[in-house]
Amino acid sequence: MERIVNLAEKLSELSVTHYNNPYVMFEWPEQIDPDAWYFTPEYISIYGTSEFEQLDDAGKKRLSLLEAVNFFSLNIHGEKALMRGLTKRLYHNRPKEVSDYLHHFVGEENKHMSLFGKFCTRYLGKVYPSRAYEIPNELDEAEEDFLFFVKVVIFEELVDFYNLQMSNDERLHPLAKGINQYHHDDEVRHISFGRTITRNLFNQLKPEWSEEKQVQVQAYILAYIESTWKEYYNPYVYKDMQMKNPYALYECAWAMDGARVHREKAGRKCYKYLLDMGALIKEPQV
Amino acid sequence: MKSEADIRQSLRQWVTTKSKIEALEAVQDHTLILEKRIITSVQLMDLIMYLEFLMDKPVDVTQLKPGVFNSIDSIYQNFFNNASRDVTAVELAGS
Repeated sequence: MERIVNLAEKLSELSVTHYNNPYVMFEWPEQIDPDAWYFTPEYISIYGTSEFEQLDDAGKKRLSLLEAVNFFSLNIHGEKALMRGLTKRLYHNRPKEVSDYLHHFVGEENKHMSLFGKFCTRYLGKVYPSRAYEIPNELDEAEEDFLFFVKVVIFEELVDFYNLQMSNDERLHPLAKGINQYHHDDEVRHISFGRTITRNLFNQLKPEWSEEKQVQVQAYILAYIESTWKEYYNPYVYKDMQMKNPYALYECAWAMDGARVHREKAGRKCYKYLLDMGALIKEPQV
Repeated sequence: MKSEADIRQSLRQWVTTKSKIEALEAVQDHTLILEKRIITSVQLMDLIMYLEFLMDKPVDVTQLKPGVFNSIDSIYQNFFNNASRDVTAVELAGS
């Protein structure tokens, strides 16, 4: 616990010294520039399909805008769930220093969502809805705590892969590039906190778990990884692009070898963390 | 417009195709597909997406009631039967 308290204090200080005000950081053009990229083309969910190849340059750039809106939308939905979980844990069973940092964490997530929502509604007129649906489970508090934080780490690690890559992609429109950079800068602290608290909880719980319980937890984590990845493939994006059979294209894009290779690459850092900790015993095959 | 029989057949086919269980017995309309782990909870997002394209209407996941995905029959009754369809399927602006 001492390690978490020290880390929370350090991260709180960094949140103050590295405070960014997203409401004044960016220039928001009235109209979107149709001749710009908003999402790294190679990371577009249908990259490598014949449907992607058949698009002309303007079509590919339009698709990159819609993929950016889908990316920001899935961030909004993920961060909404994250904020619910974090606020539930304020001033509850942990030292004051942890709550102090959770206030920064929640505040930063709220600003991210506001920024993502502004981009989505201003340039596409909507946020794509989430289809994530989970059947409620009866869990004890410690187990629920661990599963919450391990999901935080997985969600943020995968998002951060995209943030980091896109913040360095000179082809992107400055606004898209800047939002990814800003998000990455905050997420570094969130991931550091999430990794430490998750490992701490896992080390406490694992000795108490039966083999059957460990298998269940691993299955849950693998399922969460798969469902998180699925949100990066949205048939409504393809429908909005007037593509034929958007649901079939969604299934095709998900199953492509190139897409599997991409997911393996993008998830490698996260999977290594889970494997090293012992929360997984084999690499996810998604 | 698809008939009830066509919709039920499409749903059975989707569930059978997606099942990760080997040597799967034929899925009947009353087979408990989640309880028997023929499909898993992680596949529900996929199923919801499939239902949306089958209905040509989005689903508001916040309005879903427990048990709607128990079987092909419960899915049909909750999403395609006109009497209860509007409870779960909503029009979303711009989609």
